[in-house]
Amino acid sequence: MALRIDRILINMFDIYHPPFNLEIEDTFITVEIQDDNLIYRRFFREEEKQEDNLIVNSLFKEKELAEILVLNNESDILINPIEPVNIPKTLTSFLLIEFTCPVMIGPGDRKKIYLTFPVEIGVFVKNKEDEYEIIDMFTFSRVKFTLYGSHTQGLICKHWESDVFTKAPETDILREGYIELDIINDSSTTMEIKQTVFNAYGMKIYYGDDRLTMKASLRIINKLLAETDFSTYPTTSRFKRSMELYTSRKLTLSRTKGIMEFGL
Amino acid sequence: MNVADITEHLSPPSDPIVMQLILVIFILFLTVVLGKGITLYTQRYLKDKIDQETLNLLLKAIYYGIIIFSITGFIFPILDIDTSGLLVAGGVLGIILGFASQSIVGNLIAGIFLMLERPIKIGDAVNINDNFGMVEDVNILSTIIRTFDGVYMRIPNQTVFTTNITNFVVNKGRRFEYSIGIRYSDDADKAARVIKELIDEQPFALVNPSPSVFVDTLGDSSVNLIVRVWAPATEWFDLRTKLLWLIKARLEANDIQIPFPQRRLWFPSDVKINDIKLSDVLNDGKSTNSPIDSEQTGNATEDITDKGNDRL
Repeated sequence: MALRIDRILINMFDIYHPPFNLEIEDTFITVEIQDDNLIYRRFFREEEKQEDNLIVNSLFKEKELAEILVLNNESDILINPIEPVNIPKTLTSFLLIEFTCPVMIGPGDRKKIYLTFPVEIGVFVKNKEDEYEIIDMFTFSRVKFTLYGSHTQGLICKHWESDVFTKAPETDILREGYIELDIINDSSTTMEIKQTVFNAYGMKIYYGDDRLTMKASLRIINKLLAETDFSTYPTTSRFKRSMELYTSRKLTLSRTKGIMEFGL
Repeated sequence: MNVADITEHLSPPSDPIVMQLILVIFILFLTVVLGKGITLYTQRYLKDKIDQETLNLLLKAIYYGIIIFSITGFIFPILDIDTSGLLVAGGVLGIILGFASQSIVGNLIAGIFLMLERPIKIGDAVNINDNFGMVEDVNILSTIIRTFDGVYMRIPNQTVFTTNITNFVVNKGRRFEYSIGIRYSDDADKAARVIKELIDEQPFALVNPSPSVFVDTLGDSSVNLIVRVWAPATEWFDLRTKLLWLIKARLEANDIQIPFPQRRLWFPSDVKINDIKLSDVLNDGKSTNSPIDSEQTGNATEDITDKGNDRL
């Protein structure tokens, strides 16, 4: 299939009006209009070299990853980052970030550090009520899970390992964003922190041309108990808040905070 | 039949008992409709907000609560039933029922305790009294499971409560184990590294508790490695069924083979195989030219040509 690519992207987070074709790394997204419907396809193109009489031919093999028929051809498509806990399937709403080196913080201190987090990308379609519905999700980041706490009471969490930065790190925003983490030690002793657990229900992800970020806090109550929460940034036309899948409702029984009751 | 007779038949019944019965049926009908309506609305409203098991219990409580409220609040006064008398009647009735329907009451009490203790939840994979399956429903008298081959099974709550229950998913993580043999000539450290790399690529192989790969035994035909992997309890089976073949393929791609069972024949270096006569071996079994020190069951052609006693 001869595919005309409209855009080869470094930052793909935007609203698109169908039909369009995108290439991002080796992943292709096409949205075609067929009669009154939209056909969304995402596929992976793999180059296979074949040698024939000293001539090397490149063949491209397409591996389809998703195909969806949207029964409406007037919908815009929104591609933006989502809470990084959905792929390969929704097992948990918690993200555990393990530090590559532990962080020490004195009693009563308040310090700021930066951590990276994995990026998951959501494809949304706008319905007639101007609401966005998710139709596809994918990631270029490593996907792993871990257990936080005990086998009986603990939590299965999405796992991510991050270096600890004192300044905002430069990241490839298709793979990594960064969290501006405010650490508040409310205890009376020096604390060593090796990991944090965040709840996707409170996540607020912001993206701009070259940065993808969240702002969070970690309040340490004692050696075995801490609480993480997210806060907001002021947005501009070039620095937007992403569409969230995990929204806290008034009557929901889900907490928005991450309670770390099995140690730091 | 004249007109007066017809109108007499069509007129509403004047008997108060009939009127009461009609009213009771009407109220019961309204109550059931109202109960269904409220539970349906509650189910839709809370479907994504609370877990399925709690929701089911809540819906049952609402439905039966509405019916009990309607019966005691509206129907008993209409029927002029004195509810204080029910206490005495209920006590007597309880004794009669207790004797007459021990098993039913036993199941009922077991059901109440199961709901309080909650060793199983709807959707759990369990083994109850050697019956493996998924819990479909926990009712007041019985527990319904769907066996893994899709068969409906009703187990009385008394049986559930008094037997051993194994819940495969109540703990967050679950471990599985493989034993994998490699040749003696292969590098066990390399094999362990290759397997660990493969496990690391699997999203559902948990980082913590960490997987372990180690040499367990030096077997007759192979060096045996044990591979232990933890996975989320809900993903355990899928990962366990998928990973073994991936390990085999990855080991082979790295020139590490899984050997067949084999036995080595060893001959002193100055004896040639052609010098041994089978009749000598069979006749006295003590031929000086037949130093066969073990029986051969594997690939003899290769083994016989090997010198020395080093192992594959």
